[in-house]
Amino acid sequence: MLPRDRRLPLLVTVLAFALPVLFVLVPLAIFLVYSFFGVDQGTIVYTPTLGNYVRFFTDPIFLPVFWNTIVLCVSVAVICILLAYPSAYFLTTLKGRWRYALLMLLLVPLLMSYVIKIYAIRSILGLNGFLNKALVALGILHEPSTLFVFNMNAILLTLSLLLIPFAILPIFLSLERIPQTLLRASDDLGASGLQTFLRITLPLSLPGVASAASFVFVLAIGDFLTPQMVGGISGFTFGRILYSQFGTAYNWPFGAALSVALAIVVICAILIGERFGRNRGTSI
Amino acid sequence: MNQNTDLLTLRSVSKSYGTVPVLHDIDLSIKDGEFLTVLGPSGSGKTTVLRLIGGLEPLTSGEIRLDGQDISRMPINKRPFNTVFQDYALFPHMTVSGNVGYGLSVRHIKRKEIARRVAEALELVQLGRFADRFPAQLSGGQRQRVALARALICQPRLILLDEPLAALDLELRRQMQEFLKSIQREIKTTFLFVTHDQEEAIGMADRICVMQAGHIRQLGTPHDLYYKPNCEFVARFFGENNLVAGKLGPVQGEQRPIETALGRLVCSISGQPHLKAAPDGARAFAAFRPEALRLADATDDGNRLYGTIADLAFAGSSTVATIMTGADNAAQRLRLRMPSRIDGSALKSGETVSLCFAPHEGHLVLA
Repeated sequence: MLPRDRRLPLLVTVLAFALPVLFVLVPLAIFLVYSFFGVDQGTIVYTPTLGNYVRFFTDPIFLPVFWNTIVLCVSVAVICILLAYPSAYFLTTLKGRWRYALLMLLLVPLLMSYVIKIYAIRSILGLNGFLNKALVALGILHEPSTLFVFNMNAILLTLSLLLIPFAILPIFLSLERIPQTLLRASDDLGASGLQTFLRITLPLSLPGVASAASFVFVLAIGDFLTPQMVGGISGFTFGRILYSQFGTAYNWPFGAALSVALAIVVICAILIGERFGRNRGTSI
Repeated sequence: MNQNTDLLTLRSVSKSYGTVPVLHDIDLSIKDGEFLTVLGPSGSGKTTVLRLIGGLEPLTSGEIRLDGQDISRMPINKRPFNTVFQDYALFPHMTVSGNVGYGLSVRHIKRKEIARRVAEALELVQLGRFADRFPAQLSGGQRQRVALARALICQPRLILLDEPLAALDLELRRQMQEFLKSIQREIKTTFLFVTHDQEEAIGMADRICVMQAGHIRQLGTPHDLYYKPNCEFVARFFGENNLVAGKLGPVQGEQRPIETALGRLVCSISGQPHLKAAPDGARAFAAFRPEALRLADATDDGNRLYGTIADLAFAGSSTVATIMTGADNAAQRLRLRMPSRIDGSALKSGETVSLCFAPHEGHLVLA
């Protein structure tokens, strides 16, 4: 029996390792195992097979959708970064209370229900939505366009809008961490405002950009609800296929195999983000 | 470089943060090629002076002239000055040569030319071997030298140094002081060095500007400041000193007596007209350095003082005696510094002693 005062720390240590293993690694392992099973007439056949993976790589449907989904999510990440960077930069130029008040305001959408946000955005993008009305009013379009709803564009726009807060936060934090004296030193050495931004601020904030991009990409590629709700028939993403395998198609082993493919992409994205997120160990 | 022409002139410069004034009507001239140290306790406004000159902050009023031209509103990146920051402010994502060459590359100077001048500058600060390291891989003293090389590579008219040695340990600080001084002699650029450490100031400066509470108290050579302080603050702040309060007596040629609780003390006023002009009975201090004070023998005819030894402190090459004098030998504390001797001091704690200092080694400071 351990002395009393050492039992609690031991328990905490065991839990700290056991919980992630139990709730993350074990389910992942089960999925991995299932991906090697087959299905016959709606029941799972427990004999190991590579059939699911062969189907994934050979069937003309899956690989193109997989690839298009990756391209879509990379585009979402790029759009989010392009919109989030100026906002985050603007935030760091504010002083004291304003800075955090505005940051909180930008993060408020995170508190709202996901489904409600999607509905709201769908109504903005729809045929009679705000976007079409504005474009017609400005004379850019002659009549409302169906370009923004129930297709890939709609998914792209909706995901970008939904995920921007996840891009602003890491970029803001990395910009805020840059010591002001570095910027003053750059001024002092004769650099213009633009030179200081391009050569000091931007490189030093790249770790935040990398984390932001990998956040957004991972969240976007795992999302099946948004494509389901705004994608219509033409907006078919990998997430939706995956979802259908567990629902309508009722082919868990094949769904598991698709999940494994998705997990590999997600892990790669996280590793890449992590690699560029560290700044070569050069911070002082 | 003519040491007698003014490079930079501050004319009635004031600075306030909101309603809090930090500098009051500063007038200061910096000569071309000199090593000027701005010395003062924290909160004296010394760093503010540097930041105003560097263009890091705007003036509240007054003007700064470079070669006679007003540069008060010139933006920081146009001023021909460079700063060595207190925390070095090296760019963490650039190598040593990237940092040093930064000032040249933002001016679109050719790559080859930059490489040549960076190599030269690194040679000057003895960091040639470290060109490809990142700042995080350097020691404090090395970072310091990179910051210096980065500042001097642009050949500024003036290099501003903001307590650059504060973060270094004592031995390294001594080395860096000598190093800075030798570099300044070699490149013949004007240095404006801000510090709160008076030893550092004495060791390096051609002239020292002592500041307190947003005012310049005295500007002069280290020797002047040490032997002819013009006010009580400088007399107390700059080096160890004995100050005895009293009232001035009538002028006697180049000397003037002061009546104190310890008796009449005669001090030199040579070359200081304001002391000659002060009225009789004006309140003042007699100031004399611990090393000017010595044990008196019967033949001495200088200023005589009596007291008991309260403490003897061995400080290596010298020994400092703390002596209590005045009423009941308890009213006033004096310090006496004498060379240490291998067989120990002849003095003992509690002993009553007779002391003296020569009139020409005493100085008067108006209260």
